[in-house]
Amino acid sequence: MATKHTDFPNHFLLRRLHSLTGVVPTGIFLITHLLTNSSVAWGNLDSRAKEYGHPGVATFQHEVNFIHSIPYLLIVEVFGLWLPIAFHSILGFYYALSGKSNVSAYAYQDNWRYTLQRISGYLGILFIFYHIATLRWGWTFLIPGGTQWDHNYAASTLAMALQGGGDGMTAAGLAVSAFYFIGVSLLVFHFANGLWTAAITWGITISVPAQKRWGVMCAGLGVALMAMAWASVIGYARLDVTAARQTEQRMLDGKSKPASSADNPAQTSSALPAR
Amino acid sequence: MAAAGNQRVIVVGGGLAGLAATVRIAESGLAVDLFSVVPVKRSHSVCAQGGINACNEVARQQGYSEYEHFDETIYGGDFLADQHPVLEMANWAPKIIDLLDRMGVPFNRTSEGYRDLRLFGGSLFKRTHFAGATTGQQLIYALDEQTRRYESEGKVTKYEFWEFLWPVIEDGRAVGIVAQDMRTMQIRAFRADAVVMATGGCGLVYGKSTNSIICTGAAAARCYQAGVHYGNPEMIQVHPTAIPGADKLRLMSESARGEGGRVWVPRKKGDMRAPRDIPDAERYYFLEERYPKYGNIVPRDIATREIFSICVDDGLGVSGENQVYLDLTHRDPDYLKRKLEGILEIYEKFAGEDPYRNPMKIFPAVHYSMGGLWTTFTPGSYNPAQARHKHKSGSPAPIDAKVGQGMQLGAINNAMTNIEGLYAFGEVNFAYHGANRLGANALLSCLFDGLFCGVSVANYVRNAAPSKAPAESLPAAAYERVTQQEEAKVKNLLSTVNQGNYDEKTNAYVIHRELGVEMTTACTVVKSDARLRQCQSKLGELKGRYANVKLGDAAGWTNQSLSFARAVGDMLLVADAIALGSLERKESRGAHYRTDYKDRDDANFMKTTLASLKPETRDVSVQFVPIDASLILPEARTYGKVAADATSAAKQPVAAGV
Amino acid sequence: MIATISANPTHATPPTKLGRKVRFRIKRCEGPGKPSTWNTYTVTIDQKGANVISCLQQIAANPVTVEGTRTTPVVWDSGCLEEVCGACTMVINGKVRQSCSALIDHLAPNEGDEISLEPMSKFPVIRDLSVDRQRMFHNLARLKAWVPIDGTYALGGGPKESPEAQETRYALSTCMTCGCCLEACPQFNLETDASKWDSSFVGAQAISQARLFNMHETGKELAPARLDALMGPGGVSDCGNSQNCVKVCPKHIPLTESIAAVGRAVTLHAITKFFRG
Ligand SMILES: Cc1cc2nc3c(=O)[nH]c(=O)nc-3n(C[C@H](O)[C@H](O)[C@H](O)COP(=O)(O)OP(=O)(O)OC[C@H]3O[C@@H](n4cnc5c(N)ncnc54)[C@H](O)[C@@H]3O)c2cc1C
Ligand code: HEM
Ligand code: SF4
Ligand code: SF4
Ligand code: FES
Repeated sequence: MATKHTDFPNHFLLRRLHSLTGVVPTGIFLITHLLTNSSVAWGNLDSRAKEYGHPGVATFQHEVNFIHSIPYLLIVEVFGLWLPIAFHSILGFYYALSGKSNVSAYAYQDNWRYTLQRISGYLGILFIFYHIATLRWGWTFLIPGGTQWDHNYAASTLAMALQGGGDGMTAAGLAVSAFYFIGVSLLVFHFANGLWTAAITWGITISVPAQKRWGVMCAGLGVALMAMAWASVIGYARLDVTAARQTEQRMLDGKSKPASSADNPAQTSSALPAR
Repeated sequence: MAAAGNQRVIVVGGGLAGLAATVRIAESGLAVDLFSVVPVKRSHSVCAQGGINACNEVARQQGYSEYEHFDETIYGGDFLADQHPVLEMANWAPKIIDLLDRMGVPFNRTSEGYRDLRLFGGSLFKRTHFAGATTGQQLIYALDEQTRRYESEGKVTKYEFWEFLWPVIEDGRAVGIVAQDMRTMQIRAFRADAVVMATGGCGLVYGKSTNSIICTGAAAARCYQAGVHYGNPEMIQVHPTAIPGADKLRLMSESARGEGGRVWVPRKKGDMRAPRDIPDAERYYFLEERYPKYGNIVPRDIATREIFSICVDDGLGVSGENQVYLDLTHRDPDYLKRKLEGILEIYEKFAGEDPYRNPMKIFPAVHYSMGGLWTTFTPGSYNPAQARHKHKSGSPAPIDAKVGQGMQLGAINNAMTNIEGLYAFGEVNFAYHGANRLGANALLSCLFDGLFCGVSVANYVRNAAPSKAPAESLPAAAYERVTQQEEAKVKNLLSTVNQGNYDEKTNAYVIHRELGVEMTTACTVVKSDARLRQCQSKLGELKGRYANVKLGDAAGWTNQSLSFARAVGDMLLVADAIALGSLERKESRGAHYRTDYKDRDDANFMKTTLASLKPETRDVSVQFVPIDASLILPEARTYGKVAADATSAAKQPVAAGV
Repeated sequence: MIATISANPTHATPPTKLGRKVRFRIKRCEGPGKPSTWNTYTVTIDQKGANVISCLQQIAANPVTVEGTRTTPVVWDSGCLEEVCGACTMVINGKVRQSCSALIDHLAPNEGDEISLEPMSKFPVIRDLSVDRQRMFHNLARLKAWVPIDGTYALGGGPKESPEAQETRYALSTCMTCGCCLEACPQFNLETDASKWDSSFVGAQAISQARLFNMHETGKELAPARLDALMGPGGVSDCGNSQNCVKVCPKHIPLTESIAAVGRAVTLHAITKFFRG
């Protein structure tokens, strides 16, 4: 709460840590997370992954497997990710409350972004909570199909969560997918715009032209991330669960029997389930 | 330094003069109470654009000197100013610039990083320092900052939104003031061992002028009613080119004419065509035709008079109104943008018209009051056996610029009025500018008063009467008497609310408007016996109506109409003094031009007009008192003739002087 | 120097229709704690160059509403009437600006057009359109916005300065404490309790002034103190980068650059402090 201004370094430190946690662990995680997730789309480009069937699913599974092979994963996750995000979110929530948006009177583009930064923060908390609660903590009652996410069947279980079950898109699934679409888009905006403001906060960009130039770069990053985000959500919303499951099963089995068909990728690629 | 007990000084007015005084006096160790009707940072001084004069190293190495600055000022003022104070001011000027520089004023710089200079009216040398197009704003901000510094150290107490109502004078000595909080409307007395009035000019007496809306002159008028003499009230400077506006006449710098601006009106009376549609042959470039040699850059007073007579006497004003064209449309817009962007922007913003494509419409406007509260001084050490002839520009100065040659530093009567302990600084001080002020000398005189005469105030408090009988320990009766007097006035005014129907005759705003129109027509550019007498009778009528003035607001909280109505009464008295001074000064000198006495009359009128109010009748009387002309001999003010064969704009007496 | 006028697009100026009637809808309040009401007045535009102030003057002379009720004259602040003192700031048609430079020809070119006037919302209302902006001056003191000179005795000139540095300082120094930047700032809120001012957001105006004085050779001496204050609650990090301030500033002061520059200064200051103690 507001204390006398003798409380340096607390106030300043907190605000700077807020900014930092937005950029470094959280932001970097967001990038890698979206890269991983969107592998469902770009994985198609990785010819090595085609050996198991659906290359996107395989790549994604491969990434997930890699993550799960990180030693002390829980500790890394808690301290490198959950705590910083919680810190950033809680403070961000509190900071956001200190302002009063006034876009109706001052409808400038920058002001809209300021306002959206706050809205995306609020909704972001909601989305991240849902995302974690359902997929990580297994609060399956929040998922229309009641699916449990399984890291051995990463893509298929994720797709089921977004589709409301394994038998194609349901109405409830559509709602979940839409929520994902909005949530992810807002967070991407939040991060890209946050990168832009962080450069002002830290005094990296000072002159108006410098701020403009950095703005273009942030917007570029934002567009790229947005593409990944959309590709992921759309990719999972439209993924053929059965086919994905086959691929994953093959990979799981393949774990014990090291790649036998690796020298003949073309053979499996022809067996791709074309949708 | 230890100030004796609780000795304090009141400074009324937080313009450049008041703030300079505050800083100087607080620095000397005395407590200062600073009063202003607006936050001091918003005082009228912010309006000054052009710059501030001072001799400087570049000019000095070309032959200029403080002495020449002094000479120019006396000459520019048409030999009406007391000369010793002007000498001291000119000598001090470079120190003042240095000080402002130290305070962080962003003076324009040369490429090497020195202070840049510009040419200004009345001099052949570049001696005007400037900070962009807002020099006054920059100077007052620097002093405002220093004041805030002292305020945060507890040495200065600010009373902003407090209106000075009356000085408390006991045994002929100022011992405090009575003031009113313009929010709570509380009236109370403040004790002080000296009172400095730094309340600025009185442009509002003329209704609309180039002044800020707070420049009513009421504070000075109240001192005058309390017995302070008013000096040279009739000396009101009218600037030739201002932008007529519904609420204010905004200054249009003379550099517009310097850059080729042509002044004209349609030849045909009442020609309502758009200016672009009027062919050259049907345009009357009256300055060029009447003054073929100088054309549009005739001296300021001549330009003012000609524009005035074209409109008022000949009725040739554009669209039948009091305005003439100032035309720059024949110039290349890119060139104009480079040279004049700042001032053209003001025109664009307030006239709402594009001066690059349409001729500007301008008219003279009341700008500055040379007159004000009459003050005294102790002459310094320079006292030649005989006054010298006018200094030849660029020739060696007869004396150096050591401190104390013009005025004695710290003498307690410097800038003191005829009431002991009551000082007048800045525009409200009648000194320095004589019958006409040179451009960029006003800011200088404000700072000089504050910094130089501020020492006098401190000395007075420490060494004279107040140290023996401090205001702190005086009986309360005097304070109560004045407080009651002011409370009664307010009660009286408030009791008129809701009395009868709305009536223009007794409406303070209407009375003020009529006052402005009357004063502007009778007491500005051209004056005459007959018109002045007519003016006096109009003033009589207005005073009669004012006696029955009715207010529209009885609120006991932030009652602005009360404050305004009260000020109108005071303005009427200033107007009286201006009119009588104008009538009695039967000559033409500087800004004062009489059609019935066109020549300067040194024998009878190289004297200060001293106006005072008879308390019983509240009638003004004037007398003419000798001036200190012991340093420079008067001679004809021949700018015009000199410039007749020279084209240099620098020879204009007061060109570009804003 | 930045010199474009955004408020009054020149060529769009419609010709003055003299004699037209314009309505003024004015938010009134008799004093602190009193409720607000709206009054509507009609003003006949009978002069060219009319602006909001000249119309308020006309209303003051004879304040009768459109309903025919006689009211008290409207209270408002003004001074220079040429947009250089900052006094007359108010919210006109929903946006904050100076009323002296608000030309009627732009705001209400036609018969019957309406203009709404409200006091600024981020400062306590004194009466009607007049507000108390003392907090802005307080903030200048809070940030020691002055050059700590040794006194007014003649000690020679100030430091030499490049024209570029002068131009930057000059631009910052034209701030007239009008409060537009604060009114439009989503992070700057009304605070009537003066004891909380020291921990509430200072806003762009004061941040920019701190930068101005930190740039001056002598003014620099107080930079650590200024930066300390700017690191505390209500300091520069409370800015949310909406950049409204720079858009409404009538003096086109590069406020967002000041915010970034001060952001950098506090970053470096914090690092220095951390390692030096
Ligand atoms: C448009 C314009 C441009 C100018 N340009 C230049 C220029 O370039 N160079 C130059 O040298 N000069 C210039 N001048 C002249 C110069 O600006 C003024 O003469 C000078 O600023 C006056 O300063 P001051 O301190 O005497 O008074 P002001 O700045 O007028 O201050 C008066 C103070 O008194 C206070 N006050 C008044 N009445 C009361 C009261 N009843 N109770 C309490 N407080 C009261 C006010 O609040 C204010 O603080 C210009 C003038 C104008 C109008
Ligand atoms: C994926 C998650 C998130 C990422 C990557 C992220 C990233 C960022 C970044 C980089 C900034 C800029 C910091 C600065 O300007 O210095 C920022 C600011 C902000 N974030 Fe987040 N953020 C995330 C989640 C959240 C959440 C859940 C909230 C909750 C409300 C939130 C609230 C805010 C606020 C209010 C700001 C603006 C702070 C200010 O300008 O004062 N953020 N964020
Ligand atoms: S940029 Fe910062 S100071 Fe400026 S309006 Fe936005 S939040 Fe306020
Ligand atoms: S920075 Fe601009 S908007 Fe803010 S107070 Fe100063 S002049 Fe006004
Ligand atoms: S009256 Fe000074 S800014 Fe409008």
